[in-house]
Amino acid sequence: MSKFLGPLDLDGRVPPQQQTRVSAFLISAHGALGRRFALSLPMRLESAWQTELNAQLYNEAEIVSLLMRATSWAPDLALGYLAASWEIAWFPGPTEGLSDHALAAAVDVATLAHAVHAGIRPAALLPVEANANDPFVMALRRVEFESGRLLQAQIMFLKGDSLVPFRDGVSAVLERRHLQVRKLWRDMLQSLGIADGTEIEAKP
Amino acid sequence: MAFLAHGPYRIRYELDGPSGAPAYVLVNGLTQYAELWTAYRDALIGRGFRVATFDLLGQGESDKPTLFISQDDQVAALHLLICELGDGPVFLSGISFGGLIALRYATAHGQRLSGLVPMSCFAELPPQLFLLGNALRAGLILGGTSYLQDLLLPMNVSDAWLAPVLDRLDAVKRQGWLVNDVYALQNLMESFLEFKPLTQQLPAIGIPTMILNGEFDFLTPRALHDTLRIQIPNSSLVIIPRAYHAFTLEKPALTADLLARFADDVLAERWQGNKAVWIAPEEAGGDLVPFPDGYDHLRAIPVRRATP
Repeated sequence: MSKFLGPLDLDGRVPPQQQTRVSAFLISAHGALGRRFALSLPMRLESAWQTELNAQLYNEAEIVSLLMRATSWAPDLALGYLAASWEIAWFPGPTEGLSDHALAAAVDVATLAHAVHAGIRPAALLPVEANANDPFVMALRRVEFESGRLLQAQIMFLKGDSLVPFRDGVSAVLERRHLQVRKLWRDMLQSLGIADGTEIEAKP
Repeated sequence: MAFLAHGPYRIRYELDGPSGAPAYVLVNGLTQYAELWTAYRDALIGRGFRVATFDLLGQGESDKPTLFISQDDQVAALHLLICELGDGPVFLSGISFGGLIALRYATAHGQRLSGLVPMSCFAELPPQLFLLGNALRAGLILGGTSYLQDLLLPMNVSDAWLAPVLDRLDAVKRQGWLVNDVYALQNLMESFLEFKPLTQQLPAIGIPTMILNGEFDFLTPRALHDTLRIQIPNSSLVIIPRAYHAFTLEKPALTADLLARFADDVLAERWQGNKAVWIAPEEAGGDLVPFPDGYDHLRAIPVRRATP
């Protein structure tokens, strides 16, 4: 099983079938984050941190828009089932130990966003020979780069003073979200004959 | 590929060489991964040692805790690895962040070690290093792993090393970029937020210690290594000529030779630290020479040491 997308065509482009499934996954994940951010955003900003929320919303929208336009789409009969399973996975999850519902909801969306922004590295799937001028290749690199920046808002919130009393619970929720998101990503890649880099060797 | 379990996390490690031989355990720098010790593994096995390499928590193929990685956990993981080595002599060496973890290990479990080799290392965070660390963290946050590598490479290796690879730097950086994740590197860097100087604990390190410092290392300059030399009783400071912070990458043959000679001297009971200052040879196998008597090894120009 390969670690990278491909085999590339003569122009260094990723096969459309792989582009389709990878982009569909990323659109589903980042689209879900965009929706969650949109629902959390008041019409009028009341706190400084909500400016970051506003930026996150539009960055997620940009990622979705970019992938929709940069992908060479191909028919994929499995996509309906796969997309449904991904969408269900993005639903709010349990946040044990947080009785404050508003805080629990914020932790839930932050842990999902952390797992997507930190755990999904689409550019790491690109082989060295990938055409740097191909829109899909450029899009994957941009998604990964922007994810690293977007991640900082989640890190600041999840490591912040307001969650110090709940640190163990928050860490547990975050680890669980990471496992969930990585498994979905890994399963999707395996369906394309690709092994996520860290999972190539069987771990005991 | 073998793994140790530290709580819910797995530590990927590798043991090579004869099982009954004295062992060297090599600890990665912050942005590194175990395969970067391959030349050391081969050289040290050739000199009759067993070699243990591993990825720290948050690095390479080891698990990457999502939010916090404490340096205590790194020491605990290292202890698990050293326990795998049995009862024979163990020499511990680490570079930069790995050198700090090795120092911390030696202050906590020094009785298990036969010798210690901190390289490009520090026990304190003086303002320059603190601010450089903050700037590197900001670089990671703003520009990702690749930008951090772009900052570190020209700081940490020489023109002589960079010139032949200048047109393929992306290839040089690629494996480190592939195996290390932004959030995990950030967690490793942020393990310094609660850092407390180790200086007062250093005198408790009673084992033979050879401190290695590149001549031109400005990330962790000579004064930081001199603190180790002054505080660790049975230590010597060895200056690697024409070397920068990452001399383990640039001069593997020389450094592996120094490691092997140090361990051979300790095992043969020839080692005497004496808090001396030495200059390493330019090439493996050459002689170490004492730093010129009466001159100040902390200066970059030949200035006579002030008499007390």
